[in-house]
Amino acid sequence: MIGSSAHPQTRALHRHHARRYQRTLGLMAGVVIIALLLATFGFFGTVAWGALTQAVAYTTYRIAIAYAIAFALGVSIALLVGWSPISEFFFPIFDVLQNLPSFALLPFFIYFLGYTNQMIILFAVSSIIWPILFAVLTAIKSAHADLNDAATIFGARGFRRIPYYLAPLSLPAILTGSIVGIAIGWEAVIGAEIIANMMGFGAFIKDTDMTGVSQTAIAGILVILVIVFIINRLVWAPLLSESSRRYAE
Amino acid sequence: MTLVLSRVCARFADEGENEVSVLKDISFSIPTGSFVSIIGPSGSGKSTLLRVILDLMPHASGTIVRNFSRPAMVFQNYALFPWLSALDNVAFGLHMHGVARKEREHIAREKLKEVGLEHLERHYPAALSGGQRQRVGLARALAISPDLLVMDEPFSNLDTITSEALKADLLKIWRSYGMTILMVNHLIPDAIELSDQILVMGAHPGRVEKTIPVDLPRPRDTRSVQFFKEVDVLTEDIRRTLS
Repeated sequence: MIGSSAHPQTRALHRHHARRYQRTLGLMAGVVIIALLLATFGFFGTVAWGALTQAVAYTTYRIAIAYAIAFALGVSIALLVGWSPISEFFFPIFDVLQNLPSFALLPFFIYFLGYTNQMIILFAVSSIIWPILFAVLTAIKSAHADLNDAATIFGARGFRRIPYYLAPLSLPAILTGSIVGIAIGWEAVIGAEIIANMMGFGAFIKDTDMTGVSQTAIAGILVILVIVFIINRLVWAPLLSESSRRYAE
Repeated sequence: MTLVLSRVCARFADEGENEVSVLKDISFSIPTGSFVSIIGPSGSGKSTLLRVILDLMPHASGTIVRNFSRPAMVFQNYALFPWLSALDNVAFGLHMHGVARKEREHIAREKLKEVGLEHLERHYPAALSGGQRQRVGLARALAISPDLLVMDEPFSNLDTITSEALKADLLKIWRSYGMTILMVNHLIPDAIELSDQILVMGAHPGRVEKTIPVDLPRPRDTRSVQFFKEVDVLTEDIRRTLS
């Protein structure tokens, strides 16, 4: 821990983060208060909370699995490619793949995997993986030449360059890539659920929308909002602040 | 001889894919245990030369005899690993050479002590000042008991007072370790204070214009008449060589 001896610039960054955190917290408190007010006036009386919870649980579970797979694949591929001397060769390939509109691929996933959990999860993986992969590759490619030389001279050569140099070097990028990736993941999973009409939050919203019960849709969105907020505050914010403190130049 | 270069050339491909010569016919040799400085204007390929010597960059032609086995390097902008504490940065080279944790931490602590930073071993580079970072960089290099220490303008990012103190410590360390030091230097008086020999490089393409021996007795008093005279003569000499 650096504690009070941290660089003034780092401390300024911290204050900035703290202020933003307070504003977000205030906004979220407002949302929750409004929701509670609506609830006391019976606005959410028609909401089937059991079905909603189950739908949200399904969607969250798919995102969690998809993120775990995308993280493992994306980070490993990026580290291996970044480590290899022929990484320049892969960049255009990844660039083309990344730019494919992901929902255009959905029919292929459905064709090969059917209307299954695996289909939605792997479809989500195909979207989540890109921000992670590119963040790591960019971090490796933009590393300072001197740092690369230091790693080489002091013995991080061959395969051990990956765990002892490239992986820790990429940590901040893995974090930011993950945050972007998961945001895209919600989109992909909910979108796929709507299109494929599969049990989960997407299909739930779609059904309620068709039957005109918009209270349920609003309740659902509020629930998702709270989940995303909690994950951001409990997982990403502390990791981000630790990495920005550690990696500050 | 720790290092012998004979007609070494190196080239870069520029943006138009044209080959640009950065080092041309570089020949010199460095006696074991000596302190050699390289001085030259920007564009004379000083950093490239260091990287070619350490095999971090290929050379196009010529011969390099590397009569050393454990080279270490100290960088102008420190190049510490930001994710490692000062202690782990210093222990990095030993870790890569398979030295067990207990032993490498013991050695790293000793080296941090040698550069006067034993109280900051838990600090990360971001929490250290420039002078402290450069001391960690020096300790990291010393930890692997180098037989060749390459330094790329190690003082140019530091203020005068900090670099004076670091120079004094470096000379002490050099005396006790007896390794060969090759340093790119941006100040002529610094080069004269530290070195046995100065390589003067010219630019476009980078080449060695002249090798100047410095025969002042050690320890050198930088405020003596003799030292000022030497600086005066050699500065004039270097200026004339490069014009």
